[in-house]
Amino acid sequence: MQVLKRFGPIGPAFAAIVLAFGLLVAPAAAQEGPSGSNPTAQSVNEQQLLQELNKIQGRVTIPDAKAGTLEQPQGRGFREYHEGALPWIGGIAVLGMLLLLTLFYFVRGRIRLRSPEAGVKILRFNAMERLTHWITATAFIILAITGLNFVFGKRLLMPLIGPNAFSAWSQWSKYAHDFFSWAFMLGIVVMAILWIWDNLPDRYDAHWLKVGGGMFDKTNRTHPPATRFNAGQKLIFWSVIIGGIALSVSGIFMLFPFSYADVNGMQLAQTIHATVGVLMVAVIIAHIYIGTLGMEGAYEAMGSGTVDLNWAKEHHSVWVEKQEARTEPSQPSAPPTPAE
Amino acid sequence: MLTKRKNGQAGQTKLQSLLGAGGAAPIDRRTFLRRSGLTVGGLAAIGSFQLGSVRKAEAISPPQPGVPIELKKSICTHCAVGCTVTAEVQNGVWTGQEPSWDSPINRGSHCAKGAAVRELVHSDRKLKYPLKLIDGQWTRVSWNEAIGEIGDKMMELREASGPDSVYWMGSAKFSNEGTYLFRKLAALWGTNNQDHQARICHSTTVSGVANTWGYGAMTNSFNDIRNSKTLIIMGGNPAEAHPISLQHLLEGKELNHANFIVIDPRFTRTAAHATEYVRLRSGTDIAVLWGMLWHIFENGWEDKEFIAQRVYGMDEIRKEVAKYPPDEVERISGVPGEQLKRVAELFATQKPATMIWCMGQTQHTVGTANVRASCILCLATGNVGKPGAGANIFRGHDNVQGATDIGLDVVTLPFYYGLTEGAWNHWSRVWEIDYEDLLSRFASKEVMETPGIPLTRWFDATLLPKDEIQQSDNLRAMFVQGHASNSITRIPESVKGLAKLDLLVVADPHPTTWASLAVQAGRTENTYLLPVCTQFETSGSRVASNRSIQWGEQIVAPSFEQKDDYQVIYRLAQKLGLAEPMFKNIAVEGDRPVPEDVLREMNRGSWSTGYCGQSPERLKAHMRNQHKFDLVTLRAPKDDPEVGGDYYGLPWPCWGKPELRHPGTPNLYNPDLHVMDGGSPFRARFGVERDGETLLAEGSYTRGSELTDGYPEFTMAVLKKLGWDADLTPEELSVIETIGSDIDAVSWSTDLSGGIQRVVLSHGCHPYGNGKARALAWNLPDPVPVHREPIYTPRVDLVEKYPTLPDAMQFRVPNIGHAVQQAAIEKGIARDFPLILTSGRLVEYEGGGEETRSNRWLAELQQEMFLEINPADASERGISDGTWVWVTGAENNSRARVKALVTERVGQGVAFMPFHFGGWLEGKELRANYPDGTDPYVLGESANTITTYGYDPVTNMQEPKVTLCQVQAA
Amino acid sequence: MARMKFLCDADRCIECNACVTACKNEHDVPWGINRRRVVTINDGKPGERSVSMACMHCTDAPCAAVCPVDCFYTTTDAVVLHSKDLCIGCGYCFYACPFGAPQYPRTGNFGSRGKMDKCTFCAGGPEADSTEVEYAKYGANRLAEGKLPLCAEMCSTKSLLAGDGEIIAAIYKERVTQRGYGSGAWGWQTAYQEPITV
Repeated sequence: MQVLKRFGPIGPAFAAIVLAFGLLVAPAAAQEGPSGSNPTAQSVNEQQLLQELNKIQGRVTIPDAKAGTLEQPQGRGFREYHEGALPWIGGIAVLGMLLLLTLFYFVRGRIRLRSPEAGVKILRFNAMERLTHWITATAFIILAITGLNFVFGKRLLMPLIGPNAFSAWSQWSKYAHDFFSWAFMLGIVVMAILWIWDNLPDRYDAHWLKVGGGMFDKTNRTHPPATRFNAGQKLIFWSVIIGGIALSVSGIFMLFPFSYADVNGMQLAQTIHATVGVLMVAVIIAHIYIGTLGMEGAYEAMGSGTVDLNWAKEHHSVWVEKQEARTEPSQPSAPPTPAE
Repeated sequence: MLTKRKNGQAGQTKLQSLLGAGGAAPIDRRTFLRRSGLTVGGLAAIGSFQLGSVRKAEAISPPQPGVPIELKKSICTHCAVGCTVTAEVQNGVWTGQEPSWDSPINRGSHCAKGAAVRELVHSDRKLKYPLKLIDGQWTRVSWNEAIGEIGDKMMELREASGPDSVYWMGSAKFSNEGTYLFRKLAALWGTNNQDHQARICHSTTVSGVANTWGYGAMTNSFNDIRNSKTLIIMGGNPAEAHPISLQHLLEGKELNHANFIVIDPRFTRTAAHATEYVRLRSGTDIAVLWGMLWHIFENGWEDKEFIAQRVYGMDEIRKEVAKYPPDEVERISGVPGEQLKRVAELFATQKPATMIWCMGQTQHTVGTANVRASCILCLATGNVGKPGAGANIFRGHDNVQGATDIGLDVVTLPFYYGLTEGAWNHWSRVWEIDYEDLLSRFASKEVMETPGIPLTRWFDATLLPKDEIQQSDNLRAMFVQGHASNSITRIPESVKGLAKLDLLVVADPHPTTWASLAVQAGRTENTYLLPVCTQFETSGSRVASNRSIQWGEQIVAPSFEQKDDYQVIYRLAQKLGLAEPMFKNIAVEGDRPVPEDVLREMNRGSWSTGYCGQSPERLKAHMRNQHKFDLVTLRAPKDDPEVGGDYYGLPWPCWGKPELRHPGTPNLYNPDLHVMDGGSPFRARFGVERDGETLLAEGSYTRGSELTDGYPEFTMAVLKKLGWDADLTPEELSVIETIGSDIDAVSWSTDLSGGIQRVVLSHGCHPYGNGKARALAWNLPDPVPVHREPIYTPRVDLVEKYPTLPDAMQFRVPNIGHAVQQAAIEKGIARDFPLILTSGRLVEYEGGGEETRSNRWLAELQQEMFLEINPADASERGISDGTWVWVTGAENNSRARVKALVTERVGQGVAFMPFHFGGWLEGKELRANYPDGTDPYVLGESANTITTYGYDPVTNMQEPKVTLCQVQAA
Repeated sequence: MARMKFLCDADRCIECNACVTACKNEHDVPWGINRRRVVTINDGKPGERSVSMACMHCTDAPCAAVCPVDCFYTTTDAVVLHSKDLCIGCGYCFYACPFGAPQYPRTGNFGSRGKMDKCTFCAGGPEADSTEVEYAKYGANRLAEGKLPLCAEMCSTKSLLAGDGEIIAAIYKERVTQRGYGSGAWGWQTAYQEPITV
């Protein structure tokens, strides 16, 4: 009723008119200049513009370029993916990976060292490498948790702690995500520099992959030769580098919203970021598993930086040979030169 | 969890319980002032984060829950549509604006400016105290000190150079009462050098239209355009300049399936809603109008009966129009004949048809002739004097019509009485000041009766050698109250004028470009800024474009030391020793003359224009009863006790004394109504016959008239002849007997008793007579309008056939337009400056724009001065949208640095600049020249830096609509 | 209950920006935040139309769906509102909004967008109606006072309509029937998944 009252004066005026005219104005033929044309009859039509351009763009006087977009129905698509597919992709990837690893653990168990420890340690990762790894790892874990919060927080956490606490937590999550991202991006760059050389494909990779790195050999006899990094590790490395770059680039777009992209670009950046993010989480879960629980002796490599010589021979035989060839063979206990 | 119920959220925040329910003290006036003071400090800090020419702002006056709201009504202070503003006032602070549903004019609506007027009052960018320049520094002084020094300096100049050395530049932003006092002050000072914005907006309309049919005003109303079947908007962009008018125009267009034709060099926001758009070359209006008339005469579409009964001299027009066949019109204007034929046929046959114009027609060296040609088109097709027809001239400032009527103008005393001895006598009687006394204040009787210097020429009158000016000395002082300097053309030369002035006083809510340019010109002293409040902070009446008079009440008191116009004028009059005669019959409370009393004095003297019936009481009753007036006719039901039968705002002429209850005249010259219902014939202003041909109407008269043919204006002699003098009351007669030596000569316009008007109206006749409109105006330089090329034209080939008028002395100064035109051709200006430059309005800003650019809500919407340029011209010059360009002008090596807006709104070869910007000069930002904290948020180059010489011979209207320029990437 | 909607009749809109400043005035919206804006399509060419746009208060609002902290809610009048106490300024709602309605104050360098601000249909926010705290965060609450959004109430040509969807649709249909043309109820298909067919 409110509305009727407000716009009352218009109603009667219209009612008083006989609706004598049907479709009065036929669109005039397109003309060269505006002179002589009938601007009313030529008026742009919303449906037509949307069909032709799928987006309606115009001019505004305020100096905010994005305000010139009148309509972008793509927002609907963004929403559908963000609220429809993404949680499924993320859920399946993360939970699926956990499930697989659990299965693997029960079937294969912890991969143990076949021969007894040699008692001789060999340096596998120097301080710089370990520092980089752990900075990146810490940042990633924080980013993963706070990132997953964006997708799953309202579904899982908010019902438990209520909207106010969840909002406060999410606000801090967001700040954390924004600030730790810089550490992660730095880590990705340094890791790439440190390890890219050792992660180039080589002749051992095909065989390694063929036998699955021996991981599925319950007798634990299969230990295909590998250089400093076996094919599995290389896969992790490249996933991290490629995924990390994707996350970094799309993340930078979002850290500086609309500086490098319009709204559709921002949607794309967010979509890539979220999708790569959840997949990365799954990959890193696997990495964490194999680096800790999944394989005896693996954690030490990143923990103390040194590994037992026999462990190294089983998993990275070619690398060990090279290391030994380079150093004095008679003094295996001497500190080997850092890889590289 | 959040639920779908809004109230489910209550109690969510702790803050709320702390702040809610009366926790915070309501803001009273004192707190508000303190806060706005604090905000100034805050802004100073923000100022350091300026982005380009923009500074940011913050809020100061939120609504106060629980505090009673007082509703106050005033009128928007921007354009002349006359929208009512409804203010919510709490504790003396303006805390909100509500739609004014009751106003038949705006029906709740506003444009960007109207919806943001609250901020005008709160803006912390306003002048707060009187300031003067001491050694080039703006220094706070007291009002007494400022007025004292200004008065002393004026008296000193008067002594040395005579009263005409002081220029009184008033304002269309005054109320009627302020205008009247300012006009009276200039008269008592003894000069006709007093003017206001009408000079640069519709002076040519006033002269052209008044010379055609009697009064220089919009004939109908915005509301009445709802009746039109055909509208031509030629040289106007009401969608931006008068947005609320579009409500009536567009609804009318839809309801009547009206033809909505826009003729303009620019494809404007108005053109976007047209049913036909005609693009013409700027400055070729007469050729186009004659081109239309050519088709009308050719096809016999003219209204022969109307012409025979009510028009004089149409045959002369036929002769001239014959020289404008379609091919010639196309050669001049670029408009194809077929299109013009279509438009002409619609205008002549789909009636009622109305002609609407604005500054696209008026601001030209041929402004008066343009306007006359438009009127003649209306006359030829019988489209005047009926609902839905007429010349609907949209005026630009909220009271520019009133200020024009009240004679804040170099050529006349109030209400178009002119400057003759008879006129001075009339006003000396109204003012009760001896004529001899008035005469003694002027330099001479001759000067007293000679029009003053138009404001467009003030700097010429300052800079030209003394012997080239027809008065005793140059202009040496400018007293400017409410007028921008950047809306006047030829800024580089006005800057020189500023340097030369002995005294510059600017009384305004804002420092305006006068201040920033004065400092730039090198002024270091004798420069004063007096803070004046807005019309929202005082009361008074103002006239909308449709001649309706509306009373605005004071919404809030001025903050800081601002005074209203009345107070400024009173204080100055007092200092100059003029207060005693000036306020003889006007009560003064403290230092504030009572506006109601001023209006009553105006009522007593304004018989010629019919401002005599609009008493303050009647006007206030109209504001109280706004909802009773009809949307289309603007009339209240006859049985209403307060406003019964009245038309809204008693649109002038409203004849007789208020007690007569004349309803006002909604549509001028409409004979289909009784005179007491607002009917009227054309005014018999130009005599009764010429060369043996009658100038009185033939067979046309107002409904119910006892005289059924034309008749001259009424004097006592005519009254006696008809034997109607017997109807005069003894009181009326006794007043009439005191007027002049010859009682027979006392006329409807000089009779202070109102008796003649009363008696004439009672016989169904019209006081001003029943004449013909003049198609031929023999007293004008071009009695029949002819096309004349602009001074700076790109079509030099046409100048020989269509040259501008010869040089002449006009208004005490030389007009050398012809010499300038010839020189431009010799110098090959059109080759070096190939683009036509035209100018116009933006919806967000108004006039010189300092006020609106100081309004943060508006300023945010237009943050940069720009130039519209066609994509073809832009790509030729390597200019892309949004980049900086230099615009160079044809005179003074002028240049301006602006942003390019590449758009097809302008055709190839045309550039457009909005005229509201200021505070830059030739690439240099002048922000530092403003007194601290008073610089507008947005500054930019003024379009008039580039505009050039060119003055209409009849009014000395400037020429900002056609000049030449060049544009290059910066 | 009414289902509140906006409708901009582009054949009436003249880009006068009254809706923009009315909004600024009513809610004291700071510089740089534009709850409402007017976009001109086909600028300077025949067929040019301007459309005033703000939050359309969508049916099944995308902003609400993508919000990671679920700060949006829909009132019984179908007005889409949000809580600034919950909002974390992530910007997702802007990506999802088909109309570019959400606005963010810039509160710091990268990433730290402030709390989102948008058109409230003059209906305030979660706080108690017409309180100072509600005004400070969301602006005036006209709906609570029985008034409609000021932008529409002050629209210069009655182009922008606000109110119950059925009533404003009827007004619009009447206009289109009367004049014989109409460039569409801009945004309705996208916002409410329903066209106005005349």
